[in-house]
Amino acid sequence: MLSPVLKIILRRLAFGLLTLVVISVLVFAATQALPGDTATAILGKSATPERVKVLEKQLGLDRPLYEQYFSWVAGILRGDFGNSLVGTMLPVTQMIGRRLMNTLALMLIAALIDVPTALVLGSLSGRFRDGLFDGFVSVGSLTFAALPTFVIGIMLILAFATQILQILPAVSRIEPDASVWSQMDLLWLPALTLALASAPFAVRMLRGSMIEVLESDYVQMARLKGTPERLVLQRHALPNAIVPFIQVVALDLAWMIGGVVTVEYLFNFPGIGALLVSAVSDRDVPVIQALVLLIASAYVVFNLVADILTILVTPRLRTGLQ
Amino acid sequence: MSDEHLVPPGARFVGTREVGTAEGFVDTPEHDLGLSSPRGKQRRSEWVQLLLEALHYRVTQVGLAMFLLIVTLVVVGPYVAPHSPFEFVTDPYAKPSAIAWLGGDCLGRDVLSRVLCGGRSVLILSFSATAIGMVLGVSTGLVAGYARTVVSEVIMRGLDVLLAFPQIVFVLLLISVLGPQRWLLVLGVGVTLAPPIGRVVYGTTMNVKEGDFVLAAESLGVSHLEIISSEILPNIVSPLMVEFGLNLTFAIGTIASLSFLGFGMQPPAPDWGLMINENRVGLVIQPYSVLVPTALIAILAIGANLVTDGVAHAMIGLERDTGSA
Amino acid sequence: MSDQEGKPSFDLGKLGEIANSKRMTRRRMLQGAGAAGALVALGPFASACGGSQSGTSASPSGAAPKKGGHIRSGINGGNPKDSLDCHNSSINAGQKIEQTYESLLGWTPDRKLEVRLAESFPEISADGAEYTVRLKSGLTFHNGKSVTADDVVYSFRRMLDPKTLALARNHLTVISDIKKVDDLTVTFKLEKPDASFIEALAYSQSCIVPEGYERPKRPEDAIGTGPWKVTSFTPGEQVDYVANRDYWGVGPYADKLTMIEFTDSTAKLNALLGGSVDHLAMLETSQVPMVESSPGFSILKARTGGWDPFTMAIDLKPFNDVRVRQAFRLIVDRPQMIKQAFSGYAWVGSDMWAVFDPGYPKDLPQREQDLEQARSLLKQAGYDNDLTVVLNCSTATGPNDPNAAQVFAEQAKGAGVTVKVNKVDSGAYWSKGNYLSYPFAMSMWGTNSYLWLCKSMLFPTGPYWETHWKDEEWEKLVLEAYQTVDDDKRNELIKECQRIEYERGGHIVYEFHIMLDAHSDKLQGLVPDVFGAEGATNSRFNRMYFV
Repeated sequence: MLSPVLKIILRRLAFGLLTLVVISVLVFAATQALPGDTATAILGKSATPERVKVLEKQLGLDRPLYEQYFSWVAGILRGDFGNSLVGTMLPVTQMIGRRLMNTLALMLIAALIDVPTALVLGSLSGRFRDGLFDGFVSVGSLTFAALPTFVIGIMLILAFATQILQILPAVSRIEPDASVWSQMDLLWLPALTLALASAPFAVRMLRGSMIEVLESDYVQMARLKGTPERLVLQRHALPNAIVPFIQVVALDLAWMIGGVVTVEYLFNFPGIGALLVSAVSDRDVPVIQALVLLIASAYVVFNLVADILTILVTPRLRTGLQ
Repeated sequence: MSDEHLVPPGARFVGTREVGTAEGFVDTPEHDLGLSSPRGKQRRSEWVQLLLEALHYRVTQVGLAMFLLIVTLVVVGPYVAPHSPFEFVTDPYAKPSAIAWLGGDCLGRDVLSRVLCGGRSVLILSFSATAIGMVLGVSTGLVAGYARTVVSEVIMRGLDVLLAFPQIVFVLLLISVLGPQRWLLVLGVGVTLAPPIGRVVYGTTMNVKEGDFVLAAESLGVSHLEIISSEILPNIVSPLMVEFGLNLTFAIGTIASLSFLGFGMQPPAPDWGLMINENRVGLVIQPYSVLVPTALIAILAIGANLVTDGVAHAMIGLERDTGSA
Repeated sequence: MSDQEGKPSFDLGKLGEIANSKRMTRRRMLQGAGAAGALVALGPFASACGGSQSGTSASPSGAAPKKGGHIRSGINGGNPKDSLDCHNSSINAGQKIEQTYESLLGWTPDRKLEVRLAESFPEISADGAEYTVRLKSGLTFHNGKSVTADDVVYSFRRMLDPKTLALARNHLTVISDIKKVDDLTVTFKLEKPDASFIEALAYSQSCIVPEGYERPKRPEDAIGTGPWKVTSFTPGEQVDYVANRDYWGVGPYADKLTMIEFTDSTAKLNALLGGSVDHLAMLETSQVPMVESSPGFSILKARTGGWDPFTMAIDLKPFNDVRVRQAFRLIVDRPQMIKQAFSGYAWVGSDMWAVFDPGYPKDLPQREQDLEQARSLLKQAGYDNDLTVVLNCSTATGPNDPNAAQVFAEQAKGAGVTVKVNKVDSGAYWSKGNYLSYPFAMSMWGTNSYLWLCKSMLFPTGPYWETHWKDEEWEKLVLEAYQTVDDDKRNELIKECQRIEYERGGHIVYEFHIMLDAHSDKLQGLVPDVFGAEGATNSRFNRMYFV
């Protein structure tokens, strides 16, 4: 008989898979199954009868919808996302390849800045809630949380790369041959922007969970028993704060995927966010499909991982503190 | 909520829901505002009470001042602009002068005039999107709450799927084929704002539906509509107000971002997001053409968020006072 | 800062020809027009177009510049399909091609023909249908092999071969036979006299390669006669060269050359100011203040004949009515356009594009804005404040062109015309079905002589038939011009042709570019030119040196 934990995990996995399928249908529907003539809509003003026919052939629009969908999915499972519709018509996977690495590097750096900072700020404001520090952090979080990401980016550019200090480059251009890691100074500003944009939410969540943990029974018990505060934090509070911490990291990364779009565009960073923007401008449907699928799947996966890790960690913790 | 969500649903809403509240999550579905009937009537004026209470907080006052400042600017702006936002009055990226107090933009138009005329679209589109989100969310939540298990499961799953897309990516997907049309922007953003509202309403509806009073009312033949209006809606007004504020903040951000990316208002329209984009090439020479619209968007968004926070504070404060769990 | 007033600032000798467009595009065809009048004459060329090709290059002190150093240049590019095949490079690869390969003739910076691999200008037969060219003796390719007539014959046969997809082919189809006369001499027989043929010999894409040359797969296969040898090549990103120390012409002074392609102009500027490159081609107007305020850097300005027009397709509504075309030309307030869209870095055009051609009718009045007349013409054509058109533009034709489109839209209001600007992403602009099918769009060209560019742009057989131009009267005149051997008579014919375009053509030529390059003060020897293609100096790196 399957353990209940395993059952829950499997159920989550199944749900995750179902979500992915639904997402694929959504993406397909939004780009290829619209009422009216898709090819003409894509071509817009340059729609001549010949071009429409060629595009229809290319996207397979002349076949029945379910056939289109299944062959599209089959292609994706094979790793074939088709070819770009514009310019030199490269295979989509080729276009995405290196850019994906760049975006992941950017997100990683941003997370490395954001998570530790949020951990410190969140825990401290939770620990000393309603104090001066907490109020300060609170206002800061409210401010940054409200700002659209690109506004944060521009403010950073104004501060660091142009007006005030001319330290960091205002545009990221990864030179050919060199990997992203060898040109770190081009990553700082966009990474910092992403970090500042996501931090408020992480701070909030960690603060909340810190408060919750500090008010929990076992912490109260430990305090009543006379355990020094330091040990209370170490042995009881922090371990229990891990659960939301995992969620925070996962959600943080998931959230960054959305922020990456405007940040990469602003800094001209060669990642998938910037690619998505130009693909939408060009109505480059195969690229758009691939990127949106990629992004949405990443979301689902991150959430899934957060959930599963949480499931795995929690019972252990509970038994551990018996 | 189903047991599949081991973390509070608040956390499921990828990072957008927790902001603005001083007490961590405003975990509204679990938040039972008291559902026994006699209170129902009192609730009707609660939202007024809530707003008044919120105004006691510094945070609300500051936020409201900021927000109203921008709104005034937007409304009055076009009437006090010294030039037409389309007129060429000076050199491209000219420094501030007597003719153009904030200098020239990328084509030599007056930055000040364009700024004064450029807030309309952000404000109107954001409000519309938020309103649509509220309407969609409320109706979805009600339907899900009243429907049979299967249907409501499907609807709630559907909402979850929507949450799998970052807001902007979803709207970009919609734009990708149909093009950047304003109604599509508003609709798209509105749709992405709906899920959290849907959850709040769904939760409350579920709770209310199973309450004794409602069963009694139903047996008395009170129509569903009356139940909704007298029991459910009053209970969700307060959390919905907070949600409205949060949604408005995010709508402003998303709409401004879409304009910045070039998918919102098109040139030569004066629009803050668009201005930031078209003038950033000259950021070093002429910072005002970028700085001023940036600051205005920031003030508007922060103001909205601060007010929301104040209202959330007030809501929690009021509950403590009225002793509801 | 150097200024180009049409006079060379330095003693000019060998100069590369421009075959490139300004940006990442598929367009090729920026050629210099120039002293076409000095070309076709019977016998040796008396007015042997400027430029001697003496070996000295002037450094201000008069001494020979010191050798050494690694020149790094930031250029526009980014096309991953570039190749090193000199006959079939993609549009913007011309810059790279010019460093390695050369043609029989070439151009001076002020657009006069000069000799390169040829010993002297071709002998032209009395009927103008035979051109005999003699090579310089002692020339060698990068691999040490001597340059002979066999190589010349092979090169042109390769260009004519449809399989090569040579960009030059369109201009060479008039050749009926190529004959080797002796080891250093070749004769071209033409089907009929063609006054623009001599330019085909100067075209940078008509380069001479060794017999047996194929599309290079490795850098060492890119064998030419030019001052730089390719050592490494990453298409769309970077090319590295090493100096050809056996080069017959001037320089090169530096030891190494690298061209780095940028798709983002801010990154390019940062590279210059940060020291990663020494030279930047095509500085944008909004970037000028930054360079001016940075010590140690200078801007090179060149007054060129490059032009970015508005194009009207004369067979599509509403431009099929000549009155509408004339009205649109009257809409443009040219000085305002130059001020607002180009920040002053342009000079006014008058709807005729071959401005440096001897056949340019200087007597026709400068076109100016006349909204009254425009409105009246539109009314005659049946439009009463209700004409709406879509203007397609892109940064693909130039960074300031979308601005020009915006300014035009604003100016058009005054004539009761509503212009909707459609900004197309640069990757998509040149795609089939876009650029050539737009009724109203923008385009980009370098300086060109009239008869040369007509073949590409004004005939249906040309690849860039952007205005779908067709005019009986004009056609008769221009075909006659091609066959006219006498310079003066031909120029008169060309003037007539230009006058017809002035009256009813499909181009709105409102400006000619002042091009800008930027460079570190440590790099000298930059010569501005009038080509208006790749920048102010069109990448003549063999003449540049470090101080």
